[in-house]
Amino acid sequence: MHKTAPPTKVSLSLTSFFSADDILPHQEDVSRNQLIRQLLLHVANGHGLMEVDAYYTAIIERENANNTVVSNGIAIPHARINDLQRPYVGVATSTKGIRFAEDEPPVHLILLVLIPRDQPGLYLQILRALANILRDRDAARSVSQLATAEEVMRFFERGGMILPDYVCAADIMDDEFIALRDNDTLKTCIDCFIAKQVSEIPVLDCDGDMVGIVRAGALLKVCLPEYLLWMSDLSPIINFEPFTAILHNEQDTRLSGILLEDFASVQMNAPAVSVAGEITRHNASRCYVLNGKKLMGLISLPRFLNKVFRE
Amino acid sequence: MYSEPVVKTSPLHVLGKIAFMAGLTALAGWGAHHVGIAVKPLQVVAVCTFTSVIFTTLFFPAHRIAVAFLGVAVLVGTRGMTLQGMLHTAELDIILFLVGMMIIVGALKDLGFLTWIIQTIINTKKMTGTTFTVILCVLSALLSSLIGEISSIVVVLALVFQVCDTLKIRATPFVLIAVLCTNIGSAATMLGNPVGIFIGNKAGLTFSQFVFGAVPIALVALVSTMIVVLLWYRKSIAGMSLKMEEHRKVHQGLGPLVRIPHRRGFFVLTATILIIAFHHQIENILGLTGADNTNAFLIITPLIIAGLLMVYRPRRARHYVENEIEWWTLLFFMLLFAIAGGLQEQEVTGKLADKLAEITTGGPKALIPFVLGITSIGSAFVDNIVFVAAFNPVIQSLLEHSSGYSILWWALLFGACFGGNITVVGSTANIVALGLLEKRGHDHISFFEWIKVGLAIGVLTGAIAWGMLNVMEMPKPLGHRPEAKAAALPAAATGFSPKTAQ
Repeated sequence: MHKTAPPTKVSLSLTSFFSADDILPHQEDVSRNQLIRQLLLHVANGHGLMEVDAYYTAIIERENANNTVVSNGIAIPHARINDLQRPYVGVATSTKGIRFAEDEPPVHLILLVLIPRDQPGLYLQILRALANILRDRDAARSVSQLATAEEVMRFFERGGMILPDYVCAADIMDDEFIALRDNDTLKTCIDCFIAKQVSEIPVLDCDGDMVGIVRAGALLKVCLPEYLLWMSDLSPIINFEPFTAILHNEQDTRLSGILLEDFASVQMNAPAVSVAGEITRHNASRCYVLNGKKLMGLISLPRFLNKVFRE
Repeated sequence: MYSEPVVKTSPLHVLGKIAFMAGLTALAGWGAHHVGIAVKPLQVVAVCTFTSVIFTTLFFPAHRIAVAFLGVAVLVGTRGMTLQGMLHTAELDIILFLVGMMIIVGALKDLGFLTWIIQTIINTKKMTGTTFTVILCVLSALLSSLIGEISSIVVVLALVFQVCDTLKIRATPFVLIAVLCTNIGSAATMLGNPVGIFIGNKAGLTFSQFVFGAVPIALVALVSTMIVVLLWYRKSIAGMSLKMEEHRKVHQGLGPLVRIPHRRGFFVLTATILIIAFHHQIENILGLTGADNTNAFLIITPLIIAGLLMVYRPRRARHYVENEIEWWTLLFFMLLFAIAGGLQEQEVTGKLADKLAEITTGGPKALIPFVLGITSIGSAFVDNIVFVAAFNPVIQSLLEHSSGYSILWWALLFGACFGGNITVVGSTANIVALGLLEKRGHDHISFFEWIKVGLAIGVLTGAIAWGMLNVMEMPKPLGHRPEAKAAALPAAATGFSPKTAQ
């Protein structure tokens, strides 16, 4: 029987979603909302999209909930739209800059993105494709100086800007986190739980490798020995007697007593969906993103839900 | 809940073990055929099936239930055993007894009684390493004789971990001490070990007869063990004494000082033991007499107490049934008993008993070291119930030759319980203890670390049991007839045919 070779995957370029006709250069002296409406109308006219008001409302609601200024003078207003067959992208530039948020500097490069609702990863893939210009401090300002839509288009084409095949864990992780050292004491740990209002903290060794996590729940388990929990009714214990030992020893007790070595973790380049698997498998509230054994970031369950269902 | 560890090994290693196991099983079948105890093909099938279960518990413990399922299927499928025979030999009475006891122990935990025991010991004034070790030995033996070895080791190790964690000392020596004494104490009553109720029931002994026979030997074995471990672990015990002294100086206790209500739990345990202790008298009052009702009230007492407890705590009833009963273990027991029943149904055990009676000179007592030795060594490596299940029909057949062979029930009991101390895999209590020790990140006990002290205690207690069985007048089952009369009567008339012994 003749076997057909599996179709080779063709990598998508960001520029496959728009052309020079979708670009509005030099949008000066307009407000955020005016720009978004103009750009939306422009894209809608070019592609025969009908529901402009609904799209506009969706984009502004998203923008008001959480501004989409990503970095270095670039904003990516976007919305997830029902019944959209494919993504649409419109680009605008502004030499003077447009203020998208009170606490953010003016933006010079605006990419308006309409995504089909059932393709949650697309926005993140577009962000990944833009990684190079997001890192370049002067890129947005340089693009805004370009005179014509064709020149702006050429800028994007030159950059390559290939969409990755999938969204990986690193794309959705939060790289700002607190961690404890494995030689820290229980006192430091309890202080951290209280001060940071968290119920779980990763623990690193002296090389920065992640060795486990500590959970506030596990701390309670140390205070309440297992044999007390055999009783279904703990009402006879009316004071905090089980906590006395920890109160005496917290400065001398190392974290190892409550260290949990079984936690949800994925490697940086793992597909983001594997984060959901790990969180579910470990009944966890967060997943740690590792590079080898090094902790690179974490993905909380609310963050993951936001990325998949809302952002 | 205890669960079997699944060890990951390379496929080649697994294949090697399977081949070795198959070879040994075939050898056992050939050997049984060669010596004339398995002449017919179905008899060889029965021998090979039973042997393969033994080797599975040794080489692939996580797969033992799977192999036992297949074994039963092979026996029934090849007509090596009838379906009726399988159901009859699965010993549902013993399984129900164990189910009831497990629910009672779950309720005792729930009601705070076991927590209270730990709290009471932790709050003992002026404790030293030596007094703690003595208390640990006595508590391990006593608890295991009353609530079973598995529940007992969980309770006792909670105490050990609490004390050792508080004092920041290595828990391993005290875990070993607790396990050794738990296995010894488990021989003292029918409640201590599944083999106890199995042997007691098969031998037709009442609870009090069993206690009068087993307690003296278990007690001597316990005291001897205590002396050995106090010397063996003297450094660890001295270290504990020092730490306790340091702790006392800074006015720190060994755990939280909490008042735990214990009266309801104490009442439940006392009522259970009292009713079980007087089961024979109750059976007589209720007219539960005759071979068909042997130990009937003993078997149903845990069911009555467990039923009442579940009526008393209806919201916990499902928890007791789903979480407190070791279904995995009980299912294995049922299947194993059924497979051993296949040996009996095929008359393999009868032939083996005849051979043993032929080759042994010196009467039943000459077989004590043989049964004690084989069961001890066997129990050191595979579940002790396996050997008890294997020897049960053999002893029953030997009883047809002479009722004096009833002494072998005791040899079987002590071999199975004391032999469990020899290796790390010798009894379920050992495996549970090792698992708890590793799970809590405390330590690991290597095979050789265990066998050094385990073998010494195993040999010592085995020798004690042998010696005492030779000099003690062991209680005889009800209906036992003096030797002269028994010899004069045909086996069926002695009241000790396999049928009536059940």
